[in-house]
Amino acid sequence: MKVRIALYGALREADPRGHLELDVPPGSTIADLRELLAAHLREHAPQVNAGLVRISAFASSEEILHNHREVPADLELAVLPPVSGG
Amino acid sequence: MESAMDDLHVAVVERADAALDVAAALDFVSDPRFGGISVFVGKVRDFNLGRQVVGISYDLFVPLALRTFRNIGERARAEIGAPMKLYIAHAKGDLGLGDLAVVVAAGTPHRAEAFRACRLAIEAVKHEAPIWKQEHYVDGDSAWSEGCSLCEQPSEGAQDHSGHDGHGHAH
Repeated sequence: MKVRIALYGALREADPRGHLELDVPPGSTIADLRELLAAHLREHAPQVNAGLVRISAFASSEEILHNHREVPADLELAVLPPVSGG
Repeated sequence: MESAMDDLHVAVVERADAALDVAAALDFVSDPRFGGISVFVGKVRDFNLGRQVVGISYDLFVPLALRTFRNIGERARAEIGAPMKLYIAHAKGDLGLGDLAVVVAAGTPHRAEAFRACRLAIEAVKHEAPIWKQEHYVDGDSAWSEGCSLCEQPSEGAQDHSGHDGHGHAH
């Protein structure tokens, strides 16, 4: 299934549209999605530090989705690099 | 709870639309029950990690940021255990030197709870809210700040972060 991922902070620079789409096998977990995204960035966005994905969180607009969670279908996700508000 | 909602104001303000408003924060947390108000104002400063800063751009994941602010408010309320009004607002977009980045205000019956609630809220905003800071330097270069990973569950004691940062960036 296609999963749309909104990009924030330093990861925004991976795609000028501010989001990207990954093809994710049904039943994948967030941990699987993390690997897919890191591989995608290494291939398509070498200007971005793909290692950042390892310390980034995935989230819906309502909550952080930890590694063991299944990737929800039909929901736009966001990838959140380490935060620096205030 | 409706009253709880009435006692909590959270906002993300696009800089192009308006500046953050400290007077509005004080007004919101003012109440005949409250003898103590504590306010934290975070501003864009001119120097960080040895580099001359001329501005900051803030990127936010707005819906989750607002939800995080509300969660922080509820946590502060449970922690303080006293009547409280809390105001949390963060700027978004391109800010210049001296611009207000964040305003947190807490009103409570006495000063001790007000200081505690304000401190707890600002530390949690900095460490848990989906907000990213890009600094712009005098030489034309820009850099996204290193930050706190959200991969781990939030720590129980926000105070642990308040003095010394274990993750190598001074904020």
